[in-house]
Amino acid sequence: MSRTMIDIHVLQTVPPSNLNRDDTESPKTAVYGGVRRSRVSSQAWKRATRVDFESHLDSSELGTRTKRVVEWLAEEITAQAPELESRATELATETIKAVGIEVKAPEKETSPQSGYLLFLSRRQIQNLAGAAIEAAETDDVRKALKEAKVKDLADREHSVDIALFGRMVADQADINVDAAAQVAHAISVHPVETEFDYYTAVDDRNQDHETGAGMIGTVEFNSSTLYRYATIDVNRLADNLGDTTAVRRAVEAFLESFVRSMPSGKQNTFANRTLPEAVVVLARDSQPINLVGAFENPVREPVHSGRVKRAADALLEEAQEIERAYGEQPIDSWVTRVGEDTASLDELGSNVSLTEMVTQLGELVGTRAEERS
Amino acid sequence: MTVVALRLAGPLQAWGSRSRFVRRETEKAPTKSGVIGMVAAAKGIRRTDPLEELADLRFGVRIDQPGQLLRDFQTAQRPKKEKDGTTSWSSLPLSQRYYVSDAVFLAVLEGERRLVEDIDEAVRSPEFPLYLGRRSCPPAGPVALGVFDSGLEEALATLPWMAGTRRQQRHRANTVRLTTVRDAHPDETDGELVQDIPVSFDPNRRQYAWRTITRGTVEIDNPHGTAEKAEEHDPMASLGG
Repeated sequence: MSRTMIDIHVLQTVPPSNLNRDDTESPKTAVYGGVRRSRVSSQAWKRATRVDFESHLDSSELGTRTKRVVEWLAEEITAQAPELESRATELATETIKAVGIEVKAPEKETSPQSGYLLFLSRRQIQNLAGAAIEAAETDDVRKALKEAKVKDLADREHSVDIALFGRMVADQADINVDAAAQVAHAISVHPVETEFDYYTAVDDRNQDHETGAGMIGTVEFNSSTLYRYATIDVNRLADNLGDTTAVRRAVEAFLESFVRSMPSGKQNTFANRTLPEAVVVLARDSQPINLVGAFENPVREPVHSGRVKRAADALLEEAQEIERAYGEQPIDSWVTRVGEDTASLDELGSNVSLTEMVTQLGELVGTRAEERS
Repeated sequence: MTVVALRLAGPLQAWGSRSRFVRRETEKAPTKSGVIGMVAAAKGIRRTDPLEELADLRFGVRIDQPGQLLRDFQTAQRPKKEKDGTTSWSSLPLSQRYYVSDAVFLAVLEGERRLVEDIDEAVRSPEFPLYLGRRSCPPAGPVALGVFDSGLEEALATLPWMAGTRRQQRHRANTVRLTTVRDAHPDETDGELVQDIPVSFDPNRRQYAWRTITRGTVEIDNPHGTAEKAEEHDPMASLGG
């Protein structure tokens, strides 16, 4: 069976910033190759990617995470069958229970809620509403719902974000969804030390001679060139979405949003919004390959431009070495990059703009998903 | 006997054996359940499928580069649609996740030739993408080292040192002593019990059985060693005694 894996490699420089901090307000770090690196957790960048989806995908393609699932389903039942309005809440409650989710009525609310957040797609709610309406015509609603296999309806036609990032339902594990995308923690290609910015704030209304500071404090930060890596298993995505067109849209949206997004941590303090110097996309048919080994030996170069050049060269070398040693040849590859420092990466694929990259990757994924189905 | 050898390396790995609720721990070396889980994923075995065949393999690891413990503090938020259409976020419980950073391990599985060859092939072209204990920890570089005609102990004692080149150069000595953790033989009675045999990865009822492990050390050549053979230390010699 043919497989398709999409490896996304990104080199991105950020100025002084604190994208992702720990409980002591320090930027997150990790040791790699024996030296301390700046780190941005995978969760932080996945969240930024998901938030960015809203500008590329219609809300109907995105999931909704809510406890008010009964209320939502009742609305959908009423929309599909207005004559059932008076029974909508009761039908919705029975349907959600039939999926295997416990619901209970909170004190002040009118509709019962699930005990925890449920992540469902619009299509799933529509399908559940359809089943509920059909069941409403029979004498035994519970039995009819059971026969309609509503649990399967909650486990098909997932939204794009659930298909990519997965879903976990604690007490109904068989409707969990295994994520089709994997995002690594971003780490800097070079050693970093956390720096401290000492600041004072002046009290504008204090006109006395000895004004002093109204407030003092420190903000921690670092600046770095990050290596970011993510991979999408297209076959898994197709299993989760069950629709070839949706697979293509999901891959396109993920590439676009993963490349363009930035975690929002301390954004207003540092205005650290940048775009990557280089994006390399390698489509493979055997296994995904993370090229972080290129930076196990840290890039050591004080001048900023030298750092990106060395990082690009190291990335190229690692990709070529792995190809040479293990015969791992991509089926197709693209490079989007900025400036002369990243010129060497053109050896890894055709140099295109991000828009073209997204379109061409979408075409490849679409064709291969068609062939498989 | 036949073994399949795997190189587990990357900036971050996490091999939990006791994780509960918001505190997600890691062991200092890969667990049998973690590695079997990874192999099962590579073979395309579903979480609810039987695992006996894999769980029966003998398992051992060697700590080629111990790395460091890393604590990751994670916050989570949930979105809430406000009446005016905007989205606000409220906090969910904080969690602590532990990782081993900058480590390199050699993992070895011993069993029938057909089975270990299958595993080697699966790891080279995995059905589900591999990760080192946690999905956000993809391996750095290929994992498969190949199939070898030897027993578990022999493989752990003879396969080359997998640590990074720089680390090998810094070590200087011509040999290095590495810690191993492996399944105990039935006649080894001084082992340590850990709840680490995967019985079922079924998310509705995960089950782990107990296994007995034995810790040891092996001495491996350092290909980048630069030290002259150390002479016997004789402080009296310089005093002319």
